[in-house]
Amino acid sequence: METTLVDFVKVLRTAEVKVSPAETLDAMAALELVGYRDRNLLKDSLSMILSKTPEEKELFETSFEKFFTFENIRDQAASTDDDHLDDDNQASDKDPSNPGNNQAGGKGSGEGGGQGAAEDDLEDEDDSTHLQPSSPLGKLLMSGNRSELMISLSEAGRRVEVNQIVVFTQKGLYTRKIMDAMGLKPLQDEISELQGDGGRPERNLAKKLKLGRDRLRDQVRDYVEKQFFLHADESGKQLREELLKKVKLSNLEKRNFKDVQEIVFKMAKKLVAIHSKRRKTFKRGQLDVRKTLRKNMQYDGMFFDLQWKASKVDRPKVMCICDVSGSVSNYSRFLLMFLYSLSEVIPKVRSFAFSSDLGEVTQLFENSKLEDAMAKTMRDYGNGSTDYGQMFMDFKRNCMDDVNNKTTIIILGDARNNYGNPQAEILHEMYEKSRRVIWLNPEPRSNWIVGDAEMKKYAPNCHQTDVCNSLTHLERVVANLLRFAS
Amino acid sequence: MTIQNDEKLQSIEKIREGLEELNYIPNDQIATAVFLAYHLDKPILIEGPPGVGKTELAKSVAQMLELECIRLQCYEGLDESKAIYEWKYGKQLLYTQVLKETLSEILDGAKGLNDSVAKLHDFGDIFFSEQFLEPRPLLKAIKKTQGCVLLIDEVDKSDHEFESLLLELLSDYQLSIPEIGTIQANPERKPLVFLTSNNTREISDALKRRCLHLYIPFPDADLEGQIVNARVPDIPVYLRKQLVAFIQELREMDLKKVPAISETIDWAKTLILLHTESLDADLVRQTLNVILKFQEDIETVQAEVQMLTNKAVKEA
Repeated sequence: METTLVDFVKVLRTAEVKVSPAETLDAMAALELVGYRDRNLLKDSLSMILSKTPEEKELFETSFEKFFTFENIRDQAASTDDDHLDDDNQASDKDPSNPGNNQAGGKGSGEGGGQGAAEDDLEDEDDSTHLQPSSPLGKLLMSGNRSELMISLSEAGRRVEVNQIVVFTQKGLYTRKIMDAMGLKPLQDEISELQGDGGRPERNLAKKLKLGRDRLRDQVRDYVEKQFFLHADESGKQLREELLKKVKLSNLEKRNFKDVQEIVFKMAKKLVAIHSKRRKTFKRGQLDVRKTLRKNMQYDGMFFDLQWKASKVDRPKVMCICDVSGSVSNYSRFLLMFLYSLSEVIPKVRSFAFSSDLGEVTQLFENSKLEDAMAKTMRDYGNGSTDYGQMFMDFKRNCMDDVNNKTTIIILGDARNNYGNPQAEILHEMYEKSRRVIWLNPEPRSNWIVGDAEMKKYAPNCHQTDVCNSLTHLERVVANLLRFAS
Repeated sequence: MTIQNDEKLQSIEKIREGLEELNYIPNDQIATAVFLAYHLDKPILIEGPPGVGKTELAKSVAQMLELECIRLQCYEGLDESKAIYEWKYGKQLLYTQVLKETLSEILDGAKGLNDSVAKLHDFGDIFFSEQFLEPRPLLKAIKKTQGCVLLIDEVDKSDHEFESLLLELLSDYQLSIPEIGTIQANPERKPLVFLTSNNTREISDALKRRCLHLYIPFPDADLEGQIVNARVPDIPVYLRKQLVAFIQELREMDLKKVPAISETIDWAKTLILLHTESLDADLVRQTLNVILKFQEDIETVQAEVQMLTNKAVKEA
C-alpha cells in the first residue's frame, strides 16, 4: 500500500505541490490512523498533511480525484457481469489499491444493466457445456471478477513501470506491454486453438474470450491514458519550460508567449518569495530609547543592553528604458513583464519606451493588460529608426530631475545608433546621479563593437553591462537588481 | 500523547459532538484536523480570512478537554525573552550580594587559591538554574505536566527569526536553554499546539512542513445558520435564515472586507436587541456598520440594500 501513497506523492510533485519526504512519512502515519474506508476522510487528512497553501490545496484536490479513481474501469467491468456486483463491493472494500470506490460500483450497476442483458443470452447457450478456458487471463476474464481483473491490471502496470511514460506516442507501447504482462500470449493461443477445434461450444467460448480480450484492451488503453495524464502531462510541461527558459527570446514564436508568460510569473513569484523579507540596517549612533528601556527592564532598569535605531532597507526605485524597435522589442516585452510581475517587491517601476523619441509608458502598463499595453507601446513608439542620442536628450529634458541616488536605471537595447551622435555624456550624467545604471544588450558581447553599435562608448558609463537574451538571463539580472537594492 | 478526557478525542464524531456542545460548529476538515493533531502529535497551522473562528477553535478545544489554554500573541519584534524565558536578573543580583556577605564563611577552611575557586565553582551554576528562570508562554506550555493547549496567535505578524525559534518546539516538543539544557514536554501529555495565521505574509516552508495545514474558509449558508443558532439561540428561525442569506449575498460582492462569522453573530445579537422580527431595508441601513467596517464598503452596499434585502427575504 505504501507504494500507492508514494506514487501519489510523485503525482503531486509533478503537479507542483511541494511535498517533502518528512511529509510523506507523516502521511503514512496518518494513513495508518484513518485507513482507507472513508474516502472523504482520507482526502481531508492527506490534504492537511501534503498541501500547505490554498493554491496547493486546489491542485491536491484535482490530483486526488484523478489518482484515486477507477470509475471508468469499474463501469465497463460492471457491464461484463452484474451478478458479481455484491461480492465485488465487499472485495473492493478490502482491496487496498482503490480506496472508496463504493459509489463507483453503485454507479456501474446502473449503467451496466442494459448490456448485462445481452450477456445473459450468451451465457444461457453456454450453460449445457460448461467449457472452461485454461489460460490464466482467460479464466480471469470469464470469472467476471472485476476487482481481481483491476488488481492484475494495475500490478501489470507497475511491473512495466507505466509511470515512466513521458510522451503521448508511448501510449500504444505501454498498452501492449501491460497486455503482455497480464498474459495476453497464452490467451491468444487458446483462442486460436479453440477456433481451430471447430466444435460449437469451443467456438462459442472463443468468441466470448475474444470479446473479453477486446474489452480488456479498451480498459488498458484507458488506464494508460489516465496514467499519462497523471505522470507525463506535467513532466512534459516541465521539459518545455526548461527549453523555453534557455531559448533566445527573439526566436520565440507567438504561440509560445502564453507559456513564457507563465514562466515569467513563476520566476517572479520565486524572487518575490526570496526578497519580500525586508532587511534592516542598523545605524550605530542613534539610540532607540523606547526599545532600550523595554529591553533593560529585565535587568531591573540597568542600561545593560543598548538598542539602536534600525531603518528598513528601501525597495529599489527602477527606471527602465526599453528599445522597442523591431529587433529588440521581444526582449523589452519580457523585461517589462518581469518587472511588473514583481510589483510586490519593486513597487516603483517607471518605464519608458523609445525607438527614436522617448515616451513614458508607466501608466499604460499599470492600467491595462500586458498584451494590450505592449501592443499600444509598439504602435506609438515602435516605428522609426533607432536613435539613442535623441533618447538620451529626451530623458535629460524630462526625467533627469527624478533620478536620485536610490534610482536604478535599466537600459535595454542593442546600442545600434545608425551612426548618429551617441550623446554618451548624458549617460555619464545619469551614471553620476543614479545608484546604478545597468545596460542589457541582447547581442553577444563580440558584436558590441561591430558596425554601428556604440557599446564601446556607453559601457564605461554603466555600472554593469550584461548580455541578456533568454529568460534565464533576465531572471539573473532581476535577481541581482533586488540583491543590490538591499 | 494522552490528555485527560482522552475519550473526547477518540473519534472524529466525538470531537465534533464535543465542540458542538460548546457551541463551536466544526466542519469535517476541522474535526479531522483536531483528530489527526492529537493522534500524530502534530501542531495545526490554521489559515483563513479573519473572523472565521481560528482562535476560537483553539479555545474551544481547550475548554472541551478542560485544559488550560496558554496563549502567545505574536507581534513584530517578539523575541525569545518574551516568548520562551527570561532570567530574573534582579533576583540574581540580590543573591550575589547575599553571597558576597557570606563569602568568608564559605571559603572558610579552603586551602590555597585552587581550593577556593573549586568551592566557588559550585555556586556559579546556581544563578542560572530554574529558580532564576522566568518562564514565558512557550516554556510554561512545555512544563505543564498535565498537558495544555498552546495557542500561538497570528504567527504571521512575528518576524522571520521568531519562526525559526518555534521550530524546535513544534517538531520535538522541547526547548533548549543554553545554561540549563533541554527541557522536554511530558511525553505522555504533550501540549496540543495551534498556530493561526492571517496570511499577511508567507509562512516559511520549514514551519509549514512541521504542521498540519488547516484552511478554514467562510462557511456555507447551512453551516453559518447552525453557527448563528448555536451562538445566538434566541434568534427566530425566520430571521436567522434571512440574516444568513443576506450575509452570503454580501460575500459575493466586491468589498474591501467582507463580513466574517463574528460579524454575522454580532449582527444577529444587534437585531435581537432591537426586537427585530424580519429584515427590512431601513433597519439594514441603520445597522450596516455592525457588519461592514469600511466607510467605502458601507457606501457601496447602501445603494444595493433594498435589492439585497428583498432577495434575502425571498430566499428565506
